[in-house]
Amino acid sequence: MKVVAALTVIAVLICLSGCGRKGESPERKGEVVVYVSEDQVFSQPILMDFERETGIRVRAVCDTEEAKGTGTMNRLIAEKNNPQADVYWANEPIRAVVLKQRGISTPYFSSNAEGIPDIFKDPDGYWTGFSARARVFVVNKGSRNKPHSIAAYTDPAWNGKAVIANPLFGTTTTHTAALFTLYGDEKAKAFMNDLKKNAVKISTSNGESADLVASGEFAFSLVDSDDATNRMREGRPVEMIFPDQGQGELGCLIVPNAVVLIKDGPNPTNGKKLIDCLLSKETERKLALAACAQIPLHPGVPAPRELKPLDKIKTTEIDYEKVARKMQEIQPFLKDWVGY
Amino acid sequence: MCKRAVLLTVVIILVVVGLLPVLVMFAKTLVTDGHFSFASYKALFSSGRQWVLLWHTLALSSLTTVLATLIGLPLGILLARTDLPLRRTLAVLFVIPLLIPPYVTAVSWFHILGREGFLSQLLGPAVGARTSGWLFGLPGCVLVLFSTFLPIVILLTMTYLKTVSPHLEEAGKLVGKWPRVLRQITVRLIMPGVLLGAMLVFLLSMGEFGVPTFLRYSVFPVESFTQFSAFYNFEAATAATIPLGVITLGLLAVERIFLRSKTYQLRPAGTDHQFPRIDLGSGRLWLFAIVSVLSFLIVVLPLLALVIESFSLSAFRGAFSRAGDSLVRSLTYAAIGASLLAIVGFFCGYLIHTRSLPLWRGVDSLTIFLFALPSTVIGIGLTTLWNRPSTNLIYATPVIIIFGYLAQYTALTSRITVTSLAQIPPSMEEAAQTAGAAWLRRTGFIIAPLAKRGLIAGWIVGFIFCLRDTGISMMVYPPGHDTFPVRIFTLMANGPPSLIAALCVTLVAATLLPLGILGFAFRQIRSHK
Repeated sequence: MKVVAALTVIAVLICLSGCGRKGESPERKGEVVVYVSEDQVFSQPILMDFERETGIRVRAVCDTEEAKGTGTMNRLIAEKNNPQADVYWANEPIRAVVLKQRGISTPYFSSNAEGIPDIFKDPDGYWTGFSARARVFVVNKGSRNKPHSIAAYTDPAWNGKAVIANPLFGTTTTHTAALFTLYGDEKAKAFMNDLKKNAVKISTSNGESADLVASGEFAFSLVDSDDATNRMREGRPVEMIFPDQGQGELGCLIVPNAVVLIKDGPNPTNGKKLIDCLLSKETERKLALAACAQIPLHPGVPAPRELKPLDKIKTTEIDYEKVARKMQEIQPFLKDWVGY
Repeated sequence: MCKRAVLLTVVIILVVVGLLPVLVMFAKTLVTDGHFSFASYKALFSSGRQWVLLWHTLALSSLTTVLATLIGLPLGILLARTDLPLRRTLAVLFVIPLLIPPYVTAVSWFHILGREGFLSQLLGPAVGARTSGWLFGLPGCVLVLFSTFLPIVILLTMTYLKTVSPHLEEAGKLVGKWPRVLRQITVRLIMPGVLLGAMLVFLLSMGEFGVPTFLRYSVFPVESFTQFSAFYNFEAATAATIPLGVITLGLLAVERIFLRSKTYQLRPAGTDHQFPRIDLGSGRLWLFAIVSVLSFLIVVLPLLALVIESFSLSAFRGAFSRAGDSLVRSLTYAAIGASLLAIVGFFCGYLIHTRSLPLWRGVDSLTIFLFALPSTVIGIGLTTLWNRPSTNLIYATPVIIIFGYLAQYTALTSRITVTSLAQIPPSMEEAAQTAGAAWLRRTGFIIAPLAKRGLIAGWIVGFIFCLRDTGISMMVYPPGHDTFPVRIFTLMANGPPSLIAALCVTLVAATLLPLGILGFAFRQIRSHK
């Protein structure tokens, strides 16, 4: 009993010491809180480098695969009236736009964002894009024909040979919402229904889609460029094709990371320092070299060897604000489409 | 007066950390646009998906329970009462999966049966594709949860066997052989224990979040987490937990009616009568081979797969550099959680055993109900209640994780205390009371020391469950306070398999090493005495 009592006293003291830190001052010196949607395996080295270089301790909350990259965003929404975070590192700009629309973020123009194309920045400074993924085809090398447009998904020649990740989650949702803004609702819904008619398999994630293509079970899939790159680096029999690169075609959708300063966060000054770090050329270089193989948005920073640099890709011209709004609007349709 | 104050304080703690968050969460689902409404529930019951989820959840829990019970009962008897070779070693081996987070076992099986697992490398990709399809679904989930929860039935069978009076079996032996005695006397007498084990397996399988999530099998706890985290549909997330709550309450009612009313033919207290050992005769070696193969398949093989996958210095270096801080945190929080669980559980157990307050039955039911609720539900409840500026001392600090542990796991320590207290003759406390010792003094100097083994066992069980917790910690951890199991989960997204395997091996070692050291120390002390 005495031992248990002693342990309890220690427990309470430790807990209280943790509590005390929280209430010290409005801005806790040497600390920044960041919520991260980017995979921790890639974000952690960047944050550790920031800690080492600045001496500012980073306290992070990271998403799991199961939260589909939206867990931290939803936590930020839940904490709107009780903000705990300073910075949000989103793995795509749509989530950053949602935070802007809900009044959770605050503008910040970082000098390190100079050179990043305007299409990847919010004009009001609520978010800034960096290091992007491209939505590409991963194609099995054994496939005699190669798809070159997303229209291949509805082409009877590919009946039962294509796979796509669940459009309710992740970058596939963004891509679907982007198609809705580009095609219009009617044409986009017809496209989605034609996917079903063409026996397109729905997988749980882009990673699984890439594996199904690599194993030869399906001929192609629309995935993120890092999924395709990783399978190529592992020596799997796949190749990467940038879709819709021809004259008059849609182009390839680019999905940059986005960084956001949270309104009324506890450490705004350190938050801005972290944002500056994330938007630097050095961070883009590290993310290009890492296994996530992301495409730098700063001119002059070399792209991963398997990928084309940004200026050599015909990109889809989209308005991320419109896509974000559309994404929320079409959720009931998508749930119904998936049978969720 | 003091006794009443202490016990009421413990009850209030339990209500604040457990009941209140769940009630607030439930109340919130009844409000739509500021008005009282059943809209969330209408949506729930009008969706066909809910029936699929219900079917999946019940299929997973039922199959796991049936398998664990059918295999755990004979195994428990074999390990406790027969002359099976190496039965103690085998018993320890079978318990290991219970000590580690179930999703670690799932990761291990992924390395064996996955699309590029060992079996695929051995027998070709076609076999890998088939076994992978089998693993990612109901059969895979059942396999993992069966191996995880099998020890519950084995341990309860072994424990209840000790309560059977040897005289009854000896009398039975006069008219029949062992199989008949076991069937007609022993098994019937221990049936409440076996049923309790089955119920626990059912509830734990039903509330399991990590394994179905990893193996992509849609069940209610996963749905609840997805609705909350991916869609931020609070009402749907909460509503998805209601069927689980109803099933849990139903099972509690069954337990109250059928198990509590059973009377046991207990072994006479203080007797040193030896249990008759069952001679397996010529079948001894065959049974040993079968049990050994089973233990190899469900315990050794998955652990071996993890070790092989992680077998590189760089993987372990990566694991420590990426998650060393969270490992220290996990051990600290688990130790704090276990200590508080031991104390709260002790007083709850005391209240339930002595029935000192009229609400003892309510406390007992509440702890079991909270234990059976999926951890994601408790996590959402805690967030709902404490996420406000005025309560940041709780929400923004590790206190919220500890609250979660207390809410979910008090049932374990409370039940262990009840069992310990049942072995202490009431005359001991009565004598001290007659001598004028106050209640706190009696508790501190007589009851607690006599229930020492129960307290220590409670602490160890609490430590294990806190250390392996994923659901609650994942939902509520404050920035920079993620635990080791949560860190493994977040690193799993595109993390190299060798790194994940090294992290899992580290977690297994972090769980088993302290327990091994404790076990060794106890044996030394006992043999010294």
